[in-house]
Amino acid sequence: MIEFKLPDIGEGTAEGEIVKWLVSAGDAVKEHQAIVEVMTDKATVEVPAPADGTITELLVGEGDTVPVGDVIFRLDNGGGAPAQAASPEPAAAPSAPTAPSAPSAPSAPSAPTAVAAQPAPNGGKVLAVPSARRVARELSVDLSTVAGSGRNGVIRRADVEAAATGGAVAQSSHPVVAPTTAQAQRIPFRGVRRKIAEAMVRSSQTAVHFTIVEEVDVTDLVRVRQKAKAIGAEQGIKVTFMPFIMKAVANGLMKFPMLNGHLDEQAEEIVLPGTVNLGIATDTPNGLIVPVISQVESKGLLQLAAELGDLSERTRAGRVRPEELRGSTFSITNAGNIGGTIATPIINFPDIAILGVHRIVKRPGVVDTPEGEVIEVRQYMNFSCSVDHRLADGADAARFVAYLRQILEEPALLSL
Amino acid sequence: MTGLQQILNKEGVLVGEAPDLSDEQFVELLRNMIMIRSLDGRMLKLQRAGRVGFVGTATGLEASLVGAAAPLLPKDWMWSGLREGGAAITRGLPLFEYVAQMYCNSNDSAKGRQMCNHFQHKGSNYPSWSSVIGTQITHGVGAAYASARRGEDVVHSIHFGDGATSSNGFHSGLNLAGVWKAPCVFVCIDNGWAISVSSAQQTAAESYADKAEAYGMPGVTVDGNDVLAVYAEMQTAVERARAGGGPSLVVLKTYRMLGHSSSDDPSKYRDDAEVQSWAERDPLKRYEAFLIERGLIDSSECAAQEKAIVAEIDEVIHEQEAAPPFPLRSLVEDVYSEVPRHLRVQFNQFLEVAERRGDATRGDGAFPL
Repeated sequence: MIEFKLPDIGEGTAEGEIVKWLVSAGDAVKEHQAIVEVMTDKATVEVPAPADGTITELLVGEGDTVPVGDVIFRLDNGGGAPAQAASPEPAAAPSAPTAPSAPSAPSAPSAPTAVAAQPAPNGGKVLAVPSARRVARELSVDLSTVAGSGRNGVIRRADVEAAATGGAVAQSSHPVVAPTTAQAQRIPFRGVRRKIAEAMVRSSQTAVHFTIVEEVDVTDLVRVRQKAKAIGAEQGIKVTFMPFIMKAVANGLMKFPMLNGHLDEQAEEIVLPGTVNLGIATDTPNGLIVPVISQVESKGLLQLAAELGDLSERTRAGRVRPEELRGSTFSITNAGNIGGTIATPIINFPDIAILGVHRIVKRPGVVDTPEGEVIEVRQYMNFSCSVDHRLADGADAARFVAYLRQILEEPALLSL
Repeated sequence: MTGLQQILNKEGVLVGEAPDLSDEQFVELLRNMIMIRSLDGRMLKLQRAGRVGFVGTATGLEASLVGAAAPLLPKDWMWSGLREGGAAITRGLPLFEYVAQMYCNSNDSAKGRQMCNHFQHKGSNYPSWSSVIGTQITHGVGAAYASARRGEDVVHSIHFGDGATSSNGFHSGLNLAGVWKAPCVFVCIDNGWAISVSSAQQTAAESYADKAEAYGMPGVTVDGNDVLAVYAEMQTAVERARAGGGPSLVVLKTYRMLGHSSSDDPSKYRDDAEVQSWAERDPLKRYEAFLIERGLIDSSECAAQEKAIVAEIDEVIHEQEAAPPFPLRSLVEDVYSEVPRHLRVQFNQFLEVAERRGDATRGDGAFPL
């Protein structure tokens, strides 16, 4: 059994935040397999398994900050000896390891003992890790009033957060009349949420966004999709409207390639890759994640439907691979099917453009028939397309969405 | 000034004259590059699991390391910047010593007195690294000068990064090497970033190779991801030094794909797009394509080699991980020819504490006073 202690992953880091567990208790793991994503003051890294074995227990929750040296998971490696990696040629094994004690097994009782909470020593310089200082600034906590639980009384981030909460609780117990209904919440701004924030700020401050909205009569598409759904069901594939939209977008981007790609600022070149890799904005319990389906222009509708189903499911379950989150050339967001009639989507930087897809609504529409114009119940869907005006112009975007409308209003044109 | 020297373009197509190497030598260059990449991958995993303390990878620099080391003879010397451990393996540093040094265990030839990931190997004339930027330049020049004075037919290859061109050692070393016509080659591995300082912030010169002119020596800029171009230009420089023609400056333009070290997060100072553009110039893929085209390997060779090498590395890791640390006594040894009384007294007191804590290891024991 190995008790895995959070290592000092960056020369003098004092603590790390558990961003995400990549395995669950009971999982069999291989030596070097990524087990947990940990964020320190310096970087966010994947911490791998020290040996082959079975994870018996995850001891720390996601979002928790733990000091270096704390046991964060237990791994049953079938004994105390260092695990042997599966070697393809066991005959060539040289001198086998002799020492029976695994180096990564606990050796000394060095678990950090929380130094008794006491004010900053000798009233001089306050000792705190950088993240604690940052959080203290953000939460307006005076560090000199915080007791440090780290080595030698160093203030850790958790100490600051505890002090901030403690302060709030103390306030509410004051005789001053305080509303007893909703308690104000303070949610740590980190992990995926902060990553999303950074990406959004970067996009919004760099790309010059403009948005064009188009209304599409999808009455025929609804019929076609109904049939496709039945065919897909026979093969166990769930066919939504998304594969049709993806296909239309891919066709449109092959025709109007200036919306498909990204800006290489270093080289001062607009990169137009000639293939369509669609980022699909996905709402997950952890926040917005954008996995990528590649070479959409060369794939059929059912294949797209199958890939999309698989990818969304794995993304929501947190099992998407890092390489599946890179390389988009254009993105689609369909949060609009929850509500709203138009949107101004933020571009998935450094893409050139993004398409927001809205829900289908029934409305009266004017239809040309041999007997003249009649009013019918039609189904409409809105598209909101945001484009980086540095890289493409309004006319480009207008031609692109007009083309989308043309082929989605007459789905047979998808095979063009 | 010449432009960027290249023999294989980024697709691996021959655009210059390939050096005169045997089929085995061509394939050996690939194997060595795979070794470096595999070793880096494994060491980083060990570091992330807390099994070794510190790692600085050479991922992306494989062609620069392997190509620059290959033209050197066993009797030549290599002076390291901060990433040539893999190149040292190609010159004779045993893999187990490399791994032992990462663990600073009792097989570490530096006896645990170096930071981990700082190698040395006496057998292949490879002095221990210094993390202090540029100091090895003056050391190497002095050693080259000494070699010449002694009439030894030895060339010193002195490696450093782009950041070291701003160090005092760079000026002192290149200046005197030029004056003395010291038998050495200055190898500047320009990987674009000195930790977080870009080459654009480092110098206004178009290439670091321009600096050679001021020291009266030839300077050349080479595509550092093209192992054949690196080999060819290094061979020219080594031959020139060996023939008494004096030093040269060879600048290898390449890119560090990962962080400066395991403590660094490069995404904080550089763009993904820049990293991506270098991923497309990968030195291994390019050279693999060339070897396949030349009929020296088939397309499955790389994966097969990597698998075998990783298995070999893993075996060595498990062996070295189980090796004991250095005896505590080594703390006070090797400074005086015999450990003096005041250190023996201190050590004996220290040993009592270590024994109480259960940290005393085999080979220890109190000194007779």
